[in-house]
Amino acid sequence: MNSVANAKNVAKNKVVSRSLIKDLFYFNNFNIYFLGISILATFHLYSIDMTIFTVSDFLAHINDTLSRAWNVSELCVEGEVSDFRVSQGQWVNFSLKDDNGLVPIFMTVWNLRVPIEDGMRVQVYGMPRIYPKFGKFSLSAERVELVGEGALKKALAALKLKLEKEGLFDPARKRQLVTIPNRIALIASRESAAYGDFVRIINERWRGLEIDLYHVKVQGAGAAEDIVKAIKQANQNHKDYDALVLTRGGGSLEELMSFNDEQVVRAIFASKIPTLVGIGHERDISLAEEAADVRGSTPTDCARRLVPDRQDFLRNLSYQSSAIEKNINNLIESWQRSLGQAIQAPSNWLAQQKQFLLHSTSKLDANMAQWFKALHEKHRSLVRLLASLDPKGVLARGYTMLCDARGRALTSISSLAIGSTVTAVMRDGEGDLLVKQIRTDDLSEQQKLL
Amino acid sequence: MPEKKSKTTKFDVNKSFTELESITEWFESGNMDLDEGLKKYERAMELSEKLRERLEQAENKITEIQKKHNQSID
Repeated sequence: MNSVANAKNVAKNKVVSRSLIKDLFYFNNFNIYFLGISILATFHLYSIDMTIFTVSDFLAHINDTLSRAWNVSELCVEGEVSDFRVSQGQWVNFSLKDDNGLVPIFMTVWNLRVPIEDGMRVQVYGMPRIYPKFGKFSLSAERVELVGEGALKKALAALKLKLEKEGLFDPARKRQLVTIPNRIALIASRESAAYGDFVRIINERWRGLEIDLYHVKVQGAGAAEDIVKAIKQANQNHKDYDALVLTRGGGSLEELMSFNDEQVVRAIFASKIPTLVGIGHERDISLAEEAADVRGSTPTDCARRLVPDRQDFLRNLSYQSSAIEKNINNLIESWQRSLGQAIQAPSNWLAQQKQFLLHSTSKLDANMAQWFKALHEKHRSLVRLLASLDPKGVLARGYTMLCDARGRALTSISSLAIGSTVTAVMRDGEGDLLVKQIRTDDLSEQQKLL
Repeated sequence: MPEKKSKTTKFDVNKSFTELESITEWFESGNMDLDEGLKKYERAMELSEKLRERLEQAENKITEIQKKHNQSID
């Protein structure tokens, strides 16, 4: 086939395929449709520029033609979902229809980012294609979007229920943010008011925070993918960050859909960095916020939750410092007291001992005095007694005492001998006597004193 | 690991504050160890001074991170 003929063929096929596409929307039965094509082909057999295709070539040609008919970004078909089903957990098939027609849709589960069900109105982005093996025509979808607030809400409710069941919003799993972050990852659009508000409040409240900004699209096509990518990228350096903040200002439900995107919600849930998500809005909380560890009601609120107020912090700091200072002073004082007591104790003991000694001594003194007195008394009475026993007293009363030459008192007659001399001691003098006679009491013969 | 090295030399505000709080608690628990108390007191004053300095001198720093385009991130 020369190049001119080829170009002609392409041109011709383009015309054919245009009418083919047109027809497609009017016929449900594609086999009938292909029968028509083959009849057309048979007819052309007898005209000039006839091309005979093999089935495979023909289908390849049609697919090629179809792919040239539109830019990928141009084609979008809106209709109602019917006969929705998922096979083998990875292939999605459904029909898109309106009052007069029906298009089979084929896509992967991964590309289906919104939960859909029969009866929903959706927009399908993709390319038409014939699956060669079965000759089946379908619109191979890259992306499906819900149409209308009602459908969005319905889909959102379904997704929320599903993720809730999986435990993505479990309060028990929520982590606390550190009191004072050193460095954070901020996922926001650098052009957004939310970003400006967030940074302004941070600057008002705190100093020395390092913010790594991951600039993302926050709405429209590709926003969700952008956000997921940023979350994952920040998590590659999760040790560097104390918090991951995702924020944007308020908007309509459709504008906020990237914060309800399943992959975004899962990325937040999977983040190793504690997450703080705040979307400014009026009504419902986005699923991204539900999955976050901490939720801020607005970008400003996020900033407040992230860092303490500097003034409060300084007050707290000086309170703590002075409390510690007071405590250490108390501790020192109490130790000084203990030490004082420790030093005091021996001297107290000594004083006590002295006191005891004094007490004992005085008691002893008293006892001694008494004892002396008693002794003295006894002495006096003895003296009296002795005085009464004094022989001189007896002599005074007129008695005479006899003593021998050595002055010893003679008490027995036997110590006398006739002719010996004894001394008579009287009251006022003494005289020597000569013994002339002795008379013993029990003898008849007794000597007489001269 | 270069990031770990930078972490040890870097002043961590949150950790410092937590440490200061724990010292305050230590004192409030009625502990009577004077030697340890003096050490803790010294540390507390150092921490509180550093925190104050950090708050008074530093500025918030914003760095924009370039997205990795051609690399798949998992």
